[in-house]
Amino acid sequence: MAIALFISVLLIAACGLVYELIAGALASYLLGDSVFQFSTIIGSYLFAMGIGSWLSRFLDRALVSRFIAIELMVGLVGGFSSAILFFAFSVSGGFRFLLYALVMLLGVLVGLEIPLLMRILRARFEFKELVSNVLTFDYLGALGASLIFPIFVVPRLGLVRGALAFGLLNALVALWTMWLFREELAQRLAQRLACGGAIALLGLGLVYGQKLTDTLDASLYADEVILARTTPYQRIVVTKWKDDYRLHLNSHLQFSSRDEYRYHEALVHPGLASLAGAKHALVLGGGDGLAVREMLKYPALESIALVDLDPEMTTLFRTHPLLTKLNANSLNAPRVHIINADAFPWLEKNDGMFDFAVVDFPDPNNYSLGKLYTTAFYRLLKQHIAARGLIVVQSTSPMFARQSYWCIVETLKQAGWRTWPYHAYVPAFGEWGFVLAGQEQWRMPERLPAGLRYLDMKTLPALFDFAPDMGPVAAEPNRLNDQSLVRYYEQEWRAIVH
Amino acid sequence: MARDRALTRRAFTAGLAAPALIGLSCKAGRRIAGGFVFESQERGHRIRDHARFAAPKRTERVPVAIVGGGIGGLSAAWWLEKRGCHDFVLLELEDRAGGNARWGENEVSAYPWAAHYLPVPGKRETLARELCTELGLLKDGVWDERWLCHSPQERLFINGRWQEGIEPQSGLTRDDVEQFRRFEARMGELRASGAFRIPSEDGYAHQNAATRALDGISFAEWMRREGLYSPYLRWYADYATRDDYGASAERVSAWAGVHYFASREPDDKGPLCWPEGNGWIARRLIARLAPHIRGGAMVYHIRPNGRRWQVFTEEVLYDTEAVVFAAPMFLASWLIEPQPPAWPIPYAPWLVANLTLDHWPAEDDSEPAWDNVVYGSPTLGYVVATHQNLGRRPERTVWTFYWALAEGAPAAMRSVLLGGDWAWWSERILNDLERVHADIRACVRRIDIHRLGHAMPSPAPGSMFHPERVRRARPEGTLVYAHSDLSALPLFEEAQYRGVTAAQHVLRLLGRG
Repeated sequence: MAIALFISVLLIAACGLVYELIAGALASYLLGDSVFQFSTIIGSYLFAMGIGSWLSRFLDRALVSRFIAIELMVGLVGGFSSAILFFAFSVSGGFRFLLYALVMLLGVLVGLEIPLLMRILRARFEFKELVSNVLTFDYLGALGASLIFPIFVVPRLGLVRGALAFGLLNALVALWTMWLFREELAQRLAQRLACGGAIALLGLGLVYGQKLTDTLDASLYADEVILARTTPYQRIVVTKWKDDYRLHLNSHLQFSSRDEYRYHEALVHPGLASLAGAKHALVLGGGDGLAVREMLKYPALESIALVDLDPEMTTLFRTHPLLTKLNANSLNAPRVHIINADAFPWLEKNDGMFDFAVVDFPDPNNYSLGKLYTTAFYRLLKQHIAARGLIVVQSTSPMFARQSYWCIVETLKQAGWRTWPYHAYVPAFGEWGFVLAGQEQWRMPERLPAGLRYLDMKTLPALFDFAPDMGPVAAEPNRLNDQSLVRYYEQEWRAIVH
Repeated sequence: MARDRALTRRAFTAGLAAPALIGLSCKAGRRIAGGFVFESQERGHRIRDHARFAAPKRTERVPVAIVGGGIGGLSAAWWLEKRGCHDFVLLELEDRAGGNARWGENEVSAYPWAAHYLPVPGKRETLARELCTELGLLKDGVWDERWLCHSPQERLFINGRWQEGIEPQSGLTRDDVEQFRRFEARMGELRASGAFRIPSEDGYAHQNAATRALDGISFAEWMRREGLYSPYLRWYADYATRDDYGASAERVSAWAGVHYFASREPDDKGPLCWPEGNGWIARRLIARLAPHIRGGAMVYHIRPNGRRWQVFTEEVLYDTEAVVFAAPMFLASWLIEPQPPAWPIPYAPWLVANLTLDHWPAEDDSEPAWDNVVYGSPTLGYVVATHQNLGRRPERTVWTFYWALAEGAPAAMRSVLLGGDWAWWSERILNDLERVHADIRACVRRIDIHRLGHAMPSPAPGSMFHPERVRRARPEGTLVYAHSDLSALPLFEEAQYRGVTAAQHVLRLLGRG
């Protein structure tokens, strides 16, 4: 019996440490800054264990039953901790609060375990021997856990199922304890039911957790999915690999946090920096707020209207700590007005005038999106742009979808715009194309805002040179009644994929 | 107007409908509401059966009465107005004018009740282009993209999947492809002859023995004689004649069949279409002509009175110098004294249903087009009323489902049309759609059905050169005809041409030509 109990000590010590490691790993994984995350989590966990040890003095009667109850609670809370935290991260901004609340709760429960166990064993051992054995097994368990965690748990089980497996271990310790002390225990039926329930729940979690991690998303993306949301309009997925965060809409890559500054600097500054008197700007699409971040570098700009279809997209990029860090909280700036509407009908119904407009829609891979690249759309947009104003259109890749790119240029021309095509190299995408368009002559900006990482006065003119393999090709304009662009786009990308 | 009926278990147990109903109520698992609309057959049949009508309460003297408010009548009125003649009335049986361009509207969308598009008028179609210019559809020779049918225009479900366009592409042998090529080449030659024009009247000066002979045989017979027997090509020709003439290629004059394929030279990719179909045009004409239009005015008798005409409705007796008869031609023998010879061209019975969908059926790997056709179906498929929306695809939509009852002789099919009740027809419509949308019953919330016993002239062999057609088509005297029936081709452009031609004749009579 003695050795059995000391093995319990070893197991619960291992479980306690694993939950702590999981919380720390998950926090640094999702929020970055691992030194800070580990340090604060270990600190608060140990502190909470202290609270637990102190609280143990208030438990006087039926110690074995209490111990079993605590084991079951630790098993359930710890087992589901990582699933709960992942879920919280993908649905709301309250992640940090929940993280520390869970760590504290677990710490208190784990802190109760060892003092209770020592008091249970007090009658059977000499104090000297008891302390020595309990602490020896405690530290042994910690060593085991700290080795098994990086070598087996994370690579084989993952954080969600790893936590569930250790939760199950806690529940089994409770079951075992119940068996060892079967003669001293009252209310055995209730305890057995609780124990069976906890084991069943954790077991189900473990089996179902397998399915959760095997969802479509996980198999679609090479990197780990850290946030996924299905809205009435699209599927929003954020993935992470090391320090690279990527946004996918309907499984099309929108940006990589490592090089999106190249894309967004190239999108905004060649046009906006040339418009000295620009006061009112419009962004169509671009609900991630990254283009807006660049536009906020112009203090003279009085207002930025952002029209994005999906309210969940803009809410996410306005409230989620990870995402507001990426867009420098741009969507909460007082100059920025968010309008959740469908761009084409919105332009038709409203009569606002703008000096500068960024047209940053997803690539035209279906007829519905293709409408936003038609002569009809660009003609309508022209009615909203001041005579000296400019627009810039993200225009897919002149390298991989050359005819699609020049089709967009041709479409703008047909709609009565003068065009200045340019491109930039964005590693996550390859060569990427933009078209600047206006009604009067455009001149290269004389200076750029401070603090840009990619563009300077030397690289800027080079964007407007096209190498022969990306140069102009003939293309039919894209019109509502003949969406040539969708056909070009499909042909060109299919040729690359297959 | 609509007689509402919902399918419920109670209706079923009350034994109201045929066994088909069982299928509907069980499989559906939800109520589908709806009913028949515009049931004016009874009013029409009163005339046929020489029922007694109330004598008019008062008499009104007016230079011109236009009888019938379809596109023929509206076009006659449009032309009179344009030429400064404001002294006329337009008498319409229904509450609202529009005829086969009539439309409806619910909380989801406006939708057509019959004609739903206008092919982009070619350079020669001056009248249609004049109207389009007035309506803002054509500016400086450029068609407004807003109302040209957006991509994707058409798709066909064939060999288990959707393809783009209605001309069959999949499953064709090399010989089938060759026959399509030969068919097109023959149509090219016939187009070049100049005998097939829109308006068709422009082509009659260019007829020769060979083109005249076409009217003596059916389109199907012509294809056999040409050695065009590919089943895909035959389906395509049959689809075309069912779609435009409401009859199979076996029952349509080869001249009319050729006209379908050889008459058009559009200068842009079309057609022009709107949520409410040709109702978009009709409502603009109606708005402009509103002071002249008398809705709910059923003309039951037209007779000469000295050199003038008396036009009887139950409210007013119109005492006129000239009558433009713009109602379907078969009605002339029942209304006009002295009775003209019987109208020789048959009419096709049609069923048009508007289905209101709460959500779209699941699609794999295809986007809904404007016009969606199923190869091998006896129906003509459905048109999406919300297709021309500028925004993204809305969650709810209205589909207009077309079915020309072309499987038998028009009279027999007419009794089938009027024999089936709403539940029976709804079931047949859903059954047909289930071929391509297995989950359609879960999507549809409402089915409204319009039964058109005499929907359109069906140009049977012999129609085009029939002496009675030729006689009525030539404006003469103080009663002139104005209807697409006169061309034996149920086309907007023909109705417009006949209306304007009648108006020009009337203006000459009144000394304003």
